[in-house]
Amino acid sequence: MEMLLMGACLSVLGLAVACMAFGAATREADVQTAAPVVEQEMVKPVVAARFFAEAPKVLPLAARSSVPIEALLLQIESHVRLEHAAAECFLEAPNAALLHSRTVSPFVN
Amino acid sequence: MVNMDLLEGLSAAETNRVLGLGKVFTLESGGVLFRLGDPADSLYLISRGRIRLTLPMQVRDRSESVMVEEQGSGHTVGWSALTAPYRFTLTATAAFETEVVALGREELNAYFAANPDTARIIALNLAGVIGRRLQLFQAMWVREIQRMVESRCA
Repeated sequence: MEMLLMGACLSVLGLAVACMAFGAATREADVQTAAPVVEQEMVKPVVAARFFAEAPKVLPLAARSSVPIEALLLQIESHVRLEHAAAECFLEAPNAALLHSRTVSPFVN
Repeated sequence: MVNMDLLEGLSAAETNRVLGLGKVFTLESGGVLFRLGDPADSLYLISRGRIRLTLPMQVRDRSESVMVEEQGSGHTVGWSALTAPYRFTLTATAAFETEVVALGREELNAYFAANPDTARIIALNLAGVIGRRLQLFQAMWVREIQRMVESRCA
């Protein structure tokens, strides 16, 4: 009899634990499904406003990074030298391929 | 003395006479030969060293002198002295210790008036120097336009 009662109590306890777990899982799912709705409501207008309000800003690769200005100036100088050399090559043998030949400048790669 | 692009085709004696019109001086490293917008009264033949030609550019909200061209010994800088409105359109500084010959416009014009054959040769050489610069920068400009078109169409 005692064994039977103990088994019944454990079953009830197990059922209670299962119900709590189910309840908790259901609440999390509700929160998870509700959250994106709130996020979308907050984010969507901001994205739309940026898209229509501002033209996209195209920054050179080197300008976007956080390199020191001295390094950036050296990159510009290197770019000018390479472009100058490429232009001189074009003048030596003028043709369309040489006019638009690629250099290793970080500004164009 | 190295061969000067502006004096090509002149005899040695005539080259020496033209150079004799000028003043030779030396710039320390970083020394300014002329500044953008200055009155251009003399052009300069580089006899030794290297001259950096720069233009101002806004880099991260700072005005910086950005090198657009370099010229070494034998080359001419400052030819704005011979073309109106006689103002320098770049800033020139010595990359390291550099020696130049400064030829004044008034002295040159007086010499050209008395020596038209020399004037003709130097004028043709000057046209070559200016034409070369024009062709180079035209090619550089088209390359930049091409890249701009590619980035806009990408």
